[in-house]
Amino acid sequence: MYNVVTKSKDVTLLEILDRVLDKGVVISGDMVISVANVDLIYLGLKVLLSSVETMEKLRGSPFVGPMQEAK
Amino acid sequence: MVKNGRLVYLYCVADSEPKIKQIEGSENNLYSICHNGLYAVAAKVEESVFGEEGLKKNMADWEWVKTNVSTHEKIIERVVANADVIPFKFGTLFNTDDSLRAMLEEYGEEFKAILGRLENKEEWGIKIYCDTEKLKGNVINDESEVLKIENEINSSPAGKAFFLKKKKAELLSQIVNRKINESGQESFDLLKELSFEARINKLLPKEVTERDDEMILNSAFLVDKDEVGDFINMVDALKVHYENKGFFIDCTGPWPPYNFCGLSKQKVQNV
Repeated sequence: MYNVVTKSKDVTLLEILDRVLDKGVVISGDMVISVANVDLIYLGLKVLLSSVETMEKLRGSPFVGPMQEAK
Repeated sequence: MVKNGRLVYLYCVADSEPKIKQIEGSENNLYSICHNGLYAVAAKVEESVFGEEGLKKNMADWEWVKTNVSTHEKIIERVVANADVIPFKFGTLFNTDDSLRAMLEEYGEEFKAILGRLENKEEWGIKIYCDTEKLKGNVINDESEVLKIENEINSSPAGKAFFLKKKKAELLSQIVNRKINESGQESFDLLKELSFEARINKLLPKEVTERDDEMILNSAFLVDKDEVGDFINMVDALKVHYENKGFFIDCTGPWPPYNFCGLSKQKVQNV
């Protein structure tokens, strides 16, 4: 297939975490638990969110354009 | 609830029958449930491990998270080789096969609509990082405004030079911020042109990326499989254009469409 882009192992782990823990379809109903309710993701979601806010302030306004905003 | 019982872990929903025998690893008890033309790929897991308490405990264990999240991804990747799929979030669990079937019944039409939209498409990820010091170095040499102040500083008395230096630093950081915005926006727009859908995600901090440079764009693109060549060519062109200026473009894929199969908001709120 497309071997142009190799999935080097460290980057891939970050990519996998970024998708598998953060994206993907979420439903509830009869479900026992969704990881969305577990606060321990990466090094702690709090570190993550505060840093993201700082970056957004530094960068000024987020990119414009018709895009879906991350939840 | 029964102690030491088993739960049903859902990986993904596919539009055609998955070849479980080819997917299964040595330790996974994979099986598929068919309902109204949809195939749910699931596994029986121990409640002690994936139940509410067990999962909370295990999510604090970095090694456990790494292993299990990687397995989740690996299984979906193998299903995606022969079918269009809707990947589910890590840790989507049901009490029984019947409750999973009930979910397929409830969301079936919406799943089919999503799968129709995803047909013959795959997800690609673009993360762009910026070495701000290197970018600053380029700006100092390239921007006439900065060079002008630089010259003034050299020909001014100490007091005036002090203020001019402050002014120069402010100007530099303004230009650097503007360049970061423009580069991220331009790259995103050009790749979006070649995609079916595109989205921007939250930036990840250095603690998570473990890189020295800052992430300035975290984006995902849903690309038609027949147009992936054009997409990759554009990525390569952006690399040539930006990578000597202090930017690093990280392209990964193809991925299952994690970023492009959200249920409509109303439906999610209902449940």
